[in-house]
Amino acid sequence: MTGLHTPDTTQPTEGPPARRGPRPSRARPVRAQLGPGGWLRWAWRQLTSMRTALILLFLLALGSVPGSLLPQQGLNPSAVQQYFLSHPALAPWLNRLGLFNVFAAPWFAAVYLLLFVSLAGCVVPRTIRLARSARALPPAAPRNLARLPSSARLETTLPPPQALAAARALLSARRFRLRVAGDWVAAEKGHRREAGNLLFHLALLGVLLSIGLGGLFGYKANRLLVEGNTFADTVTNLDVYHPGRLVSPADLAPFTITLNRFSASYITSGVDRDQPAAFHALIRYASGPGAPARGYDLQVNHPLVVDGVRVFLIGHGYAPVFRVTDGAGHVVFNQPVPFIAVDTGTYTSEGVIKVPNARPEQLGFIGVFLPTAVNQGGRLESAFPAALNPMVSLVSYAGNLGLGSGVPQSVYQLNTAGMHRLAVSPRPLQPGQSIKLPGGGGTLTFTGYRQWISLAITYDPGQLPALLCALAALAGLLLSFFVRRRRVFVRARAADDGRTVVELGGLARSDAGGGFETEFAELTEELRSSLARKSPAVQHSPGSQDAPAAERSPATQHSSDTSHSPDIQQEGE
Amino acid sequence: MPANLGLAHLSNAFLIVALLCYSLAVLAFAGDFAFGRRRGAAAGRQARARVPELVGAGAADSSAPGDADAAAADSPAPGFGSRSRHEPAAGAWVRAALVATTVGLAAHVLGVITRGLAVHRIPWGDMYEFVTALTCVAVIFFLGLMIRYKAYYLGLFVMGAVVIALGLAQTVIYTAAGPLVPALQSYWLSIHVTAMTVATGTYFVAAVLGVVYLFAARQARLVTAGGSAASARIMRRLPGPDVLDRLAYRTVMFAFPIWTFGIIAGAIWADQAWGRYWGWDPTETWAFITWVVYACFLHARATAGWRGKKAQIIQLAGFGCLIFNLVGVSLFVTGLHSYAGLN
Ligand code: HEM
Repeated sequence: MTGLHTPDTTQPTEGPPARRGPRPSRARPVRAQLGPGGWLRWAWRQLTSMRTALILLFLLALGSVPGSLLPQQGLNPSAVQQYFLSHPALAPWLNRLGLFNVFAAPWFAAVYLLLFVSLAGCVVPRTIRLARSARALPPAAPRNLARLPSSARLETTLPPPQALAAARALLSARRFRLRVAGDWVAAEKGHRREAGNLLFHLALLGVLLSIGLGGLFGYKANRLLVEGNTFADTVTNLDVYHPGRLVSPADLAPFTITLNRFSASYITSGVDRDQPAAFHALIRYASGPGAPARGYDLQVNHPLVVDGVRVFLIGHGYAPVFRVTDGAGHVVFNQPVPFIAVDTGTYTSEGVIKVPNARPEQLGFIGVFLPTAVNQGGRLESAFPAALNPMVSLVSYAGNLGLGSGVPQSVYQLNTAGMHRLAVSPRPLQPGQSIKLPGGGGTLTFTGYRQWISLAITYDPGQLPALLCALAALAGLLLSFFVRRRRVFVRARAADDGRTVVELGGLARSDAGGGFETEFAELTEELRSSLARKSPAVQHSPGSQDAPAAERSPATQHSSDTSHSPDIQQEGE
Repeated sequence: MPANLGLAHLSNAFLIVALLCYSLAVLAFAGDFAFGRRRGAAAGRQARARVPELVGAGAADSSAPGDADAAAADSPAPGFGSRSRHEPAAGAWVRAALVATTVGLAAHVLGVITRGLAVHRIPWGDMYEFVTALTCVAVIFFLGLMIRYKAYYLGLFVMGAVVIALGLAQTVIYTAAGPLVPALQSYWLSIHVTAMTVATGTYFVAAVLGVVYLFAARQARLVTAGGSAASARIMRRLPGPDVLDRLAYRTVMFAFPIWTFGIIAGAIWADQAWGRYWGWDPTETWAFITWVVYACFLHARATAGWRGKKAQIIQLAGFGCLIFNLVGVSLFVTGLHSYAGLN
């Protein structure tokens, strides 16, 4: 259907404008003997055809469906693991199809690239054609103007050349492009519609390119930061690091960030009780080693911008602080341990403590932190996300943590395979309280808690271009929807009675917004009064002194297509 | 700031009044459908209405009933499935329905405004508020259509759907007034959700038109096939399928740029909140899918010349995606958006 991309060159004389059926396709029949060049050209035509673009577009939409329904590696890796556990038979197959990482899958990229090529292959030639046709003249006036969707007939005493001149003046004042020949004027307007449509498609290309730019040169990283701690933006300091394809570690901005204090406030009453109201992370940052440190109040929706990189507050939690003294009396552990909230409503959080330096045996603990512990019928639960009554309950293990095995371990999981559980009373601890490990194994003290925040660090050079292109696409869309391309023809002929008959005809090629009828009626009205002003004094019909020289013959103004309603006909094709 | 409960209750009261008025409007539209003046009786009006601007001053007063009858006398009555959009001058049923709709709309708007005052923010921040606001947009858009195209025949369908949606909002997904979580407090969020609300309200009308189209096209086919008298009677009340097709197309053309803008605003917001303007989060993905499906509809309709049934089915699929995003994704799939306020 390549023919659909070309501007409509159909002459209005070719029949009624109700173009219902498919337009003739320009695609030439594939010959039996195509050389390699011919095949290539054929393939190119297929690829850049509207139908292919639509199918690719649809495939893109269809392809994103599994990406939204299945857990995705990039968004939520632990949900993917969970899915593997609960669907052991199905998951490997889905994984082979790339369905856990759809938006980075080769087939998704293939659709995306094909669409890009298809769009480019179609839009660029159209742009060139539009540039050429911008100077082209409107088509000649059809013989019978009354057959056009809008038509009108006026009579005047002006001779035909003057009547035509009046029509020309009127139309060019309304910025129509004119073509004059013989006894007619042809006028056309609304090429901005085509231009808008092209702008839309070109801008769409721009959006795709900008996304690619970000993918090549940008990077994304995450970092968890406990109150009082500092980190520098280098690859080894980042918890999660997704560089673009052309990013090297040396490209990272060398800033440092210290978290002084984090505070969260919560709604304390009403149905939204426990919902967060505001988060503030008071940080100090320096844009490089040796640069002066500055303070910043980091909030959700208010990122820090440093060295062109943006740092976002995306999460927070509690890090209870523990001190462990081993059986030999040495303090072998004294630091905050980030716990992860398992319930964001109450911030009940879980975490593990690993003490590899403890003697005689390594120690490990699995803990639950309750920010506001309350006794619910014998069970301790957290009742509120703020730390109003913090408590920790722990399960203690001793033995071999398995850290030396070479298999990487999550800091949030304890491998208890080589350990045995210690018989410790399950009494929950308040800050300052300790548990004594049996058999002279040492003591653990819950000394207090700090808070942590998680930061998303992003650099995306394609961001601004993407925004600009998206806005351009919107502008193009509006132009192509609300500008209509229309033609108006005027013909003036001497009638038998010595007067001049002025016929008008018009059609809108794409009148989606409606309103061509109104415009046409206005034009007719203006032409009538213009003719009336210019015509010599009325010589005939003495009975009516102020009868207009140009008067409408009552039954001749009409829309030719009687079954159409005026406002809804004739929109885009 | 906590919600103002007095205002919140006032908002609920307004919305119940709106729901009642809309229900009355549906009854009145149904009355018109069943007992109102037939199209054939005033079929010639379209001739008069066609070029009102061209008729000399004082020649036509479009509200004079006698005029319609006079016009009917000298122009042939179109058969069923005429492309005319013009209904007879609003009869008593339609006038009653319009009054009820307008009063209901006033209460609806007040309900939305008082809700906004109660929660100190834009009143489309959770799912309940969103549905309430989008139905308000749908009613406004529909009244616009009625004024511009005298499309009274749409009343039964559009207002019926509005009553169902607003009724569901009031009962099943009602959420008491409250503030937003921090991630939802942003200037761009307001812009984004406002655009999405307006676009959804308009798509809602387009979807109703699409369904009516499919129904009308079927009845028209039945009549052509020499079918039942019931079909012929229904078709006398409905405009031709072509009119519905075009009207649905235009409605989508109105909504599509707004939806596009809403997606852009959402991307800006996501960028400010999470540091990436597009992350294929489920809600984002479905907004994109919706956009693509509507773009397919516009292409199919505009360039591929697929009018009618196929195009309308694509349009309805687009609306299906939209609804899935609202209901399915918000409730069943978790993403950063978690917008419903119900989880
Ligand atoms: C090779 C790819 C494409 C081709 C050849 C193509 C071609 C066209 C053409 C010729 C029109 C003009 C319609 C008219 O003048 O009335 C059009 C309109 C449009 N295109 Fe595309 N297009 C392509 C891809 C896309 C894509 C990827 C999108 C985005 C989803 C898109 C969205 C639109 C929209 C929204 C319109 C406006 C429809 C209207 O004018 O009513 N197009 N396209």
